[in-house]
Amino acid sequence: MTTATDSVELVGEEATGNVARAVLFAAATSATAPVDMVHPLAPNVPITLQTLWVYLAGVVLGPLWAGVAFTLYLLAGLVGLPVFAGGNAGLGVVLGPTGGFLIGFPLAAMTVGAVAHGLDGLTAPDAIPVPRLVLALVAGTAVVYAAGAVGYALVQAIGLVAAVSAVVVPFLPVAGLKIAATVAIARSDAIVAR
Amino acid sequence: MTITVEGYTYRYGETLAVDDVSVTVEDGEFLVLAGANGSGKTTLVRGFNGLLTPDRGTVSVNGRPVEDDPVAARSSVGMVFQDPRDGFVAATVGADVAFGPENLGLSRAAIDRRVADALDAVRMAGRGEERIDELSGGERERVAIAGALAMDPDHLVLDEPFTGLDWAARRSVLARLRGLREEGVGVVVVTHDLRDVAALADRIVVLADGVVAVDDPDPDPAALAERGVRPP
Amino acid sequence: MNLRYVAGDTYVHRLDPRSKLFVQAAVAVAAFAHTTPAGLAALTAFVGGVCRLAATPVTASLRSYRAFLPFLVAGPLVEGATVGAPWFVVADAVTPALASYRVLLLLLVSTAYIRTTRVRESRVAIQWLLPGRIGVVLGAGVGFVLRFLPVLRDDLATVRAAMHARLGAERTLRERIRLIGVTGLRRVFRRADRFALALQARCFAWNPTLPVLSPTWRDGPALLVAVALLAWAAV
Repeated sequence: MTTATDSVELVGEEATGNVARAVLFAAATSATAPVDMVHPLAPNVPITLQTLWVYLAGVVLGPLWAGVAFTLYLLAGLVGLPVFAGGNAGLGVVLGPTGGFLIGFPLAAMTVGAVAHGLDGLTAPDAIPVPRLVLALVAGTAVVYAAGAVGYALVQAIGLVAAVSAVVVPFLPVAGLKIAATVAIARSDAIVAR
Repeated sequence: MTITVEGYTYRYGETLAVDDVSVTVEDGEFLVLAGANGSGKTTLVRGFNGLLTPDRGTVSVNGRPVEDDPVAARSSVGMVFQDPRDGFVAATVGADVAFGPENLGLSRAAIDRRVADALDAVRMAGRGEERIDELSGGERERVAIAGALAMDPDHLVLDEPFTGLDWAARRSVLARLRGLREEGVGVVVVTHDLRDVAALADRIVVLADGVVAVDDPDPDPAALAERGVRPP
Repeated sequence: MNLRYVAGDTYVHRLDPRSKLFVQAAVAVAAFAHTTPAGLAALTAFVGGVCRLAATPVTASLRSYRAFLPFLVAGPLVEGATVGAPWFVVADAVTPALASYRVLLLLLVSTAYIRTTRVRESRVAIQWLLPGRIGVVLGAGVGFVLRFLPVLRDDLATVRAAMHARLGAERTLRERIRLIGVTGLRRVFRRADRFALALQARCFAWNPTLPVLSPTWRDGPALLVAVALLAWAAV
C-alpha cells in the first residue's frame, strides 16, 4: 500500500485533545438547554444551564479553548444545528431578542478563562484560589449579561434600562447559584488534573 | 507487513500495565490477544499504531518504527475501539467512513471508491446516507470496521468487538472478520472471551498482569481459565 | 419539526451555501437599515418570495419560534407603558413593534437557509470563509458537534433521571446544579478522551480533502440580489 504519507500534516496529540473537549463542551451545552428546574423565588423564570457550561469551560479549558468551544456552539447554531435554547437555530435567533446572550457566551468563556488562568498556561482548576475563581466567574457573568442586555436593547429598539430590567435582573439570583455550584465543581474530583 | 513489538513497557503512574512484552504479528495472521480486565491488552495494542508511546521498548510496522512515520503506521494498522459510539466523527455512515481517507488527502474519486469498497466489505453497501444513531449495535460495529478499512490497512485491531452485541450481531461481525481474513487482511481481536473467535484464530496470545502468559496456536483450556479468559 | 434540513430540489436547495449565507447577511443588514413601515413591507414581500422559492411554510415555521413571543411582545409594551395617565402611549410603542416584526422576518430567512442547506455544505463554507487552522477546527468541529448532540442528550437525560431516582428533587437547587455539572463533566471528559483517540487513529489532519463547492449560473441572480440589498441598506 502506498500513500503519500509525508504530505499529511497530523493534528498533534495535544491539539486533538483540546478539539475533542471543545466539541464535547459545545454539545453538552446544547444538551442541557432544556432543564426542568424552577427557582423558588422566581417560578416564572426558566432556568437553563448553558451559562454553567460557559463557566466550566473557562475554568477547565482556559481562555483559548473555552473560546473555541463557544465559537463552535455559536457557529453550529448558525448553520442549523438545534443547539440554542428550546432546540432553536439560525441567524434569525442570533439576531433575535436573546441573541446578545449567544454572542456573549464565547466572550464570557474567554473572560472566565483569562481571569482564572491568566494568559500563559493553565492552572489545575482545584489549585485556582477561591477568590480568584469567584472573580473570574463574576466577570464572566457580567460579560454575558452585558452582551445580553445590549443585544436585547438593540434588537428591540428599547432603552438599556428597560432591557436590563427585562433580561438581567430576573436571572441574577440563579446566576449566583450557578457561580456557587461552579466553585464546588472546580473543587470536586470530577476535574482531574490533566 | 509485520508488526514487531520488542520490550514494550508502559506504566500509568505507579502501576505497571505492560511489562517488557515482545510479540510479532505476521502478515495476514489472525491473532487473538486475550486476557482478563486490566491485564494490559488494550494498553499493548494502542502501541501498535503509535496511539501510546511505550516508556521502554519499540514498535515497528513493516520494519519502520511507528514514531518515524505515524501516518503510515496508522493507515497500516487500523483500530476499532471498544464502544464505537465515541469513535464516530460524523452523523451519517458515509461521511464517517470517508473521514480517514479525507485526512490522507486522497482525491474525491479515490475517497468515494474506498468508502464504497469498505461499506461493501461489511455488507453495508448503499447505506451511506443513514444516520449512525439509528443503527443497531451490530451495524454500528460494522460501520466502525468500515471506517478503519477505508484507510486500506494491512492489519485491523478490534478491541472487545463483541461486547454488548446479541447473538445475531456477533455472528454478522464474525462473518465479516472471516471475510477479511480470507482477503489477506491481518486481524487482531482483543477479548476476554474466546467463545466467538477461537475457531478463526491462527494463534492465541494471553496477557496476565502485563506479561505474556500463553502464546500458542491451540492453548489448553485450563491454562486459559486460570488467567481469567473464558475458554472456547 | 421545521428547523432541520429537508431534502429537496428547489432553486434555493441548489444554490451554493456561500451565496445563501451572503443573501442572509444582506437581508439582515437591510432590515436593520430600514426598520420603517415601508422598508419592512418591501422586505416582507422579498422574504415571502424566498420562503416560496425554498418551499418553507411561513406559519408553521413561525410557530416553532413561539418561545420568543414574550420577548417580542414585551418590547413594545414596556416602551409604550407610562406610570400615570394616559397609561399607554402608542407612538412610543411603534419603534419597538417594528423591531419585533423585523425579528420575525429574519427568523423566516434563516429557517429557509436551514431547511435547504446540509450541515456538510455549511461546514465547507465555514472552512472556505475562515482559512487556515482556525477554519479546520471550526469547520470540522461543527461536524463533530452534529455527531455528538444525540449522544450528549442521552447522557444528560440519564443524569437527570438518576438524580430524580436518588430523591434529587428534594435537594436544594444549588446542589442539583452542582450534581448535573459534576456528572456531566465526568461524561464529557470520558467521551472526549475516547473521541480524541479515535481522531488520532484516523489521522485527523490539518489538510484533509474537502468536498468541492461548485457555484453555477444559478448563483448569479442570488448574488445580484444580495448586492442590491446591501446597496439599498447603504442609501
